[in-house]
Amino acid sequence: MLPGKWLKHQIDMRTFKEARVLIITLIVVAALLYWTYPQSLPVFRTAGIVTGWLGSGLLLMSLILMFREPGLAGFFGGLEPMYRWHHRLAIWAYIVLLTHPLLLAADLWLTSPAFAWAVLSPWQQNWPVRFGWISIVLMMPGLYVALSPKLPYSYWRKLHHLLSLSVVFGVLHLVLLGANGILLIVPVLILVFLLLRVVRSDYGLGALPYIVSSVQHLSPTTVEITLKPMVGTLNAVPGQFVLLEILNSRNFDGCAEYHPFTISEIKPDGCISLGIKDLGDCTHRLQSIQVGAEARLQGPFGQFFTEIKGPGLWVAGGIGIAPFIAVLRSDPLSHPTQLIYLYRADSDAPYIAELNALAEQQALLNFKPVATGDSNPDLASVLPDTGELTGVECYLCGPPFLVESASELLQQRGVKHSKIHFESFEFR
Amino acid sequence: MRKLFLLTTSLFWVAVVAIAVSGTSTSGTAPQETTGNLAESSAENHFTLAEVADHAVEKDCWMVIDGVVYDFTAYLPDHPTRPDIILPWCGKEASEAYKTKTRGRPHSSGADSLLPDYRIGLIK
Repeated sequence: MLPGKWLKHQIDMRTFKEARVLIITLIVVAALLYWTYPQSLPVFRTAGIVTGWLGSGLLLMSLILMFREPGLAGFFGGLEPMYRWHHRLAIWAYIVLLTHPLLLAADLWLTSPAFAWAVLSPWQQNWPVRFGWISIVLMMPGLYVALSPKLPYSYWRKLHHLLSLSVVFGVLHLVLLGANGILLIVPVLILVFLLLRVVRSDYGLGALPYIVSSVQHLSPTTVEITLKPMVGTLNAVPGQFVLLEILNSRNFDGCAEYHPFTISEIKPDGCISLGIKDLGDCTHRLQSIQVGAEARLQGPFGQFFTEIKGPGLWVAGGIGIAPFIAVLRSDPLSHPTQLIYLYRADSDAPYIAELNALAEQQALLNFKPVATGDSNPDLASVLPDTGELTGVECYLCGPPFLVESASELLQQRGVKHSKIHFESFEFR
Repeated sequence: MRKLFLLTTSLFWVAVVAIAVSGTSTSGTAPQETTGNLAESSAENHFTLAEVADHAVEKDCWMVIDGVVYDFTAYLPDHPTRPDIILPWCGKEASEAYKTKTRGRPHSSGADSLLPDYRIGLIK
């Protein structure tokens, strides 16, 4: 058996795909260090050069991981793990790059502190070194903002571009200091992936145009919109999500930013429906969206439902019902499935009437709606006992606290981690 | 992650300030310990970093490598890389650039043997 196939059998698929990030990072960094490792230099200067290239390699990998393309997301196990590793590698790159000028200065400090300061000081150095300084200094507010989850998304997104600017100055530093020959591939790739991200993702060249063809208000705080494709269609399956941008047009003032929404229906003509819950500024505005509004979709992303192999337990909280309604609308169930739907009140529960009707039509569906009121649900009494969970694949979708609590409880009741499926939508 | 960022950023600035303070308070003084090159040549001219900085153009290009001052003006047309790689180092402490040797682009022993031809003195 090939090593890759053997590894896949030992660990579950999600972990295997996520591990690819680390494996590729190690290969990139090792190749770079092999090629650039200095010959016969003092230890601090060697360390200074190594940290410069190590930081560049980590930064390159971090930038590759923010390139949100469905194929790449599928390869690395989803958009959420990609973004998680994008953040981690960027922070690691930053810390390594901070040590780079200090180590170069430390090498001369033993000779004379004045020489050490001459190496470090932007006032005494030339523009290639000053560009390095500008890059590091721009990284500081950029990363501070990136690590501020409570900042409103629109401000967060704009200030995140400080890091793009920092990368450009870092590349200038590298090229003007003399990176040439095969080593030029590093700054070139860094710029290519930065540009691809900006052009294809942020400016929407990788997105497909759609138009809102119907709007249905499911509850006072939830609307379902159906989007009709204008050019091509996304090849999506139930359980996946898309990134939606509603454009500013004559009949609707959109948000001009992408937000993730789980697909609630995929129609044979390529139309896609999305359930949108009022959870923030943009989704609040989308509650009053009109037919005819122009949109762009990127995706599809996510691997929530892989192959459904046997009996299932589906636990949904609020708008987390969307992937489950998408599956139920697509095909009749082929395995016994219990759907536990947690919501505050009947009047606030999207799709409740349709789910009741589906439960009557589909004998394999055991639908258990649970109105929780304003208190947190008592999961211990809601979830099945240990005896009913044998051989069951569990799918969880809802607010993070619900998913975490349900996952923990299911594992306490003997369900293996590999049998519990959920996805996170933390994309900052 | 946020704590790690704040901690490393603070440590970085503390280190930079420490180097700046020690570097500026000893500015212009000779290194306490010198390499073999430096020790041998007490009769040579001595320059400050500020004096070297006055020779920072293509037609008047001095550099400092390991405490030794070189006048590379005559050598610049013969340097194998494109001019924008070497010119920014005129008037500067350039040990970092000279010694940033990597597997792909080493400064050869031939380059080392050329250095004495352009040596004009030492840093004070």
